[in-house]
Amino acid sequence: MTVGMVSAISTHALTKRYHDVLAVDSLDLDVRQGEIYGFLGRNGAGKTTTIRMLLGLIRPTNGEVKVLGRRVSSGETDAFRRVGYLVETATAYPNLTVRENLEIQRRLTRTNPAAIDSTMALLRLEPYAEKRAGQLSLGNKQRLALARALLHSPELLVLDEPANALDPAGIVEIRELLRALVDESGVTVFMSSHILAEVAHLADRIGIVHEGRLIEESSREELAAKARAFAADAYTPEEREQALLTADLERYFLARTGGPAEGGEA
Amino acid sequence: MFGQVLITEFLKLRRSKVPWGTLGGLSLAPLGLALFMWILREPGRAAQLGLVGAKANLSGLEATGPAYLSTLTIVFGVGGMLLLPFIVAYIFGREYVEATAKNMLALPIDRRWFVIAKLVVAAAWWLVLVVVVLAESLVIGMLLGLPGFSAGVALGAVGGSMRAAAISYLLAPVVAWVTVAGRGYMGPIAFALAGMAVGNLLGKTGWAEWFPWSIVPLMIGMVGQPQTLPTGSYVVLAAMFVVGVVATIAQLRFADNAQ
Repeated sequence: MTVGMVSAISTHALTKRYHDVLAVDSLDLDVRQGEIYGFLGRNGAGKTTTIRMLLGLIRPTNGEVKVLGRRVSSGETDAFRRVGYLVETATAYPNLTVRENLEIQRRLTRTNPAAIDSTMALLRLEPYAEKRAGQLSLGNKQRLALARALLHSPELLVLDEPANALDPAGIVEIRELLRALVDESGVTVFMSSHILAEVAHLADRIGIVHEGRLIEESSREELAAKARAFAADAYTPEEREQALLTADLERYFLARTGGPAEGGEA
Repeated sequence: MFGQVLITEFLKLRRSKVPWGTLGGLSLAPLGLALFMWILREPGRAAQLGLVGAKANLSGLEATGPAYLSTLTIVFGVGGMLLLPFIVAYIFGREYVEATAKNMLALPIDRRWFVIAKLVVAAAWWLVLVVVVLAESLVIGMLLGLPGFSAGVALGAVGGSMRAAAISYLLAPVVAWVTVAGRGYMGPIAFALAGMAVGNLLGKTGWAEWFPWSIVPLMIGMVGQPQTLPTGSYVVLAAMFVVGVVATIAQLRFADNAQ
């Protein structure tokens, strides 16, 4: 992986206010090309509002957003030509099949028809190609949403809670897929999550957002060191034992169910 | 790019039951009208079958070809004011109800193309309905064997119906704007019903020629005899069309698109 110095996403004093609620408060972000940036925060911290502003879906009250060097302004969607995205819940046209949903995306992103089959293979959606999206399980809907985001081989992926609805094996699979995209194709990933473990496994840098403000930003290693130091003081030996047991149980479950993490990182 | 957007808008209707539902709904109108005509023509037999003829007699209609065909114009005018808003609400509103608007609006495509393509799909859908149901109406009219049913009268009725359908389409973009502003189905349907109610009310006043939702009822003879409208009425409708298109595009471009 080569992390560039050029910003894939940069925001300056980005602010969104809904009447008397400050959803995002003077957010300064700098996501470098070729890295995975984990945007971590509790529910309601301002993650989805930030992502909606990054994608031009809502107008900032103040501040500015640049995506791949282009300023995002409301209604100006040209900046998203090289961006794949998944916003909040995974949705698709329920009356259309998986293939037809991807066909719509293909046409609107001017992508080669062959990309549909290769992306379905990448996301293991081939068995469901002719199944209507409305009949898919939540996990497969999430895969379809990810396939839509990846179809046109974007340079930047903006993913809002990408592991939503996926089972543990699916989470590991998507984790490995995103890592491979970054390492092999130099894709930049900006992903939000409210689950630290999900971000900690994958992100190169992590930003923690709370009540609309970026309260911490550091590399995974730095954050892990801080977390270890904090845990040494904050947790009882029983709580630490419980946390280890949870990790062991997840790994055992994946091994028993033939998940991709068998014997490897979970 | 518009061509691709238009293709995908048609593709989105694949396997949808709604177009068939609208066709089923509108195609019932000529059947109902034919039943009405039959009751008027055969009151004795209708009474034997338990069909009440009093309401039919009270309508002031006669069981003739011209009466049947002129009532068709009302069917398409009313259809254009009620069914067409439903179609527009479905095409625009499903993106919010199915939560796909966020996917659509972040695509690298000028949002005005989505508005225009959806309005083209609504126009095509409405045109297909009108043509199919008009054909059905003419076949039923011929089968009824009503006196005065001639090719000339039928041609006139087809022209009138197409004109009523086309004129009512000019109100569709405003419904589209209400749909994207309200992000769902209920707003535009309530708006269409309210427009029709106020239109009927004002249709009996001197302002009828200037109020968009009174113009169609006035033209098709829903409130009194069909009238030839002044140029100003057409200007009002054209202005409503332009305002509706511009407002819908502006809503998608400049308003927050949070679902």
